[in-house]
Amino acid sequence: MLNASYAGRSLPTTPPVAITAESVTRFSQALGLPDTGAVPPTYLISLTLPAADRLIDDPDFGLDWSRVLHREQRFAYHRDLRAGDEVTCAVTVESIKTVAGNDLLSLRTAVEDGEGVAAEVWTTLFVAAPAQEPGEAA
Amino acid sequence: MNGLEVGAVVFTASYPVERADLQRYADASGDRNPIHLDEAAAKAAGLPDVIAHGMYTMGLVSRAVLEWVADAGIDARLADFTARFAKPVVVPEGGTAVEVEGRVRKSEDGSVELAITATSAGERVLAPARATLVSP
Repeated sequence: MLNASYAGRSLPTTPPVAITAESVTRFSQALGLPDTGAVPPTYLISLTLPAADRLIDDPDFGLDWSRVLHREQRFAYHRDLRAGDEVTCAVTVESIKTVAGNDLLSLRTAVEDGEGVAAEVWTTLFVAAPAQEPGEAA
Repeated sequence: MNGLEVGAVVFTASYPVERADLQRYADASGDRNPIHLDEAAAKAAGLPDVIAHGMYTMGLVSRAVLEWVADAGIDARLADFTARFAKPVVVPEGGTAVEVEGRVRKSEDGSVELAITATSAGERVLAPARATLVSP
C-alpha cells in the first residue's frame, strides 16, 4: 500500500530538459504522425513519467511498479511546444485513494518553458493490492 | 464551431497494430515494460497476451484527431485531451487493429469538444476519450 502521507507533496522541479528533434521524430514516426517538429499531443508523457522517478523509486513511498496499470491520462496544452524547446517538469502528488487494498495515485505535472506553464499533465495510476501470502489475515 | 453538429460522427479511422509497432513505441517513449513486448512476460502477469501501451492507443487517437483537423482544413489547436483506459488492446502474434470514431460532443463559437471511442477486437478499450479544439 502507498504511503498516503505523500498526498499533496511536490517533487523538486527537474533541471531543464531539451525536447530534441530526434526524440520528436521518433515519437511521431512511432505513431504514424507527420514529422513537422511540432511536439505530438502525447509526447509529454515521455518527460513527465521520468520526472516522477524520484517518487517511484522512493522506498518510503512504497510503489511497486510491477503492479501498476495506467488508468487515466489528461493533457492541457496552453502553448504549442516544438522540437528544440527546453522545459522543466514539476510533479505534485494530487491524491492517493485506497479502495479494497488497491491504490489510485494521481499525479499532476506542470511543464514549464521560459514563459511559464506550457502544459499540464495528469496521470492516474492504479496500483493493485499485493497478492496475499498464505496465512495472512485479510 | 461552424458546421459541426452535436452528435455528428466527424471521423472514423482504423489502424493496424503489430508487435513491431509496440517495440517502436517502447523505444520512442522509453516505456519498455515487458508486458508490451514479450508474450511470456505478459502471460506471467496474468494477461491473455502482449498488450499495447495505453499511451500508444491514446497516441493513435491523437493521430485520428490530427488527421481529421488536417483533412477538414480546420484552423484549430488541441487544447485539452483526456482518456481513461478501460480494457487492454491485446496484440497477438498476427497483430490486431484499433478502430477510432470521433463524434461532436459540444460545439461552440471558437471551440469544439469531441467524444472519441476506440475499439479493438470488438471491445471498447477507452472509456470515451475527449479532445477539445480551439480556434486561434
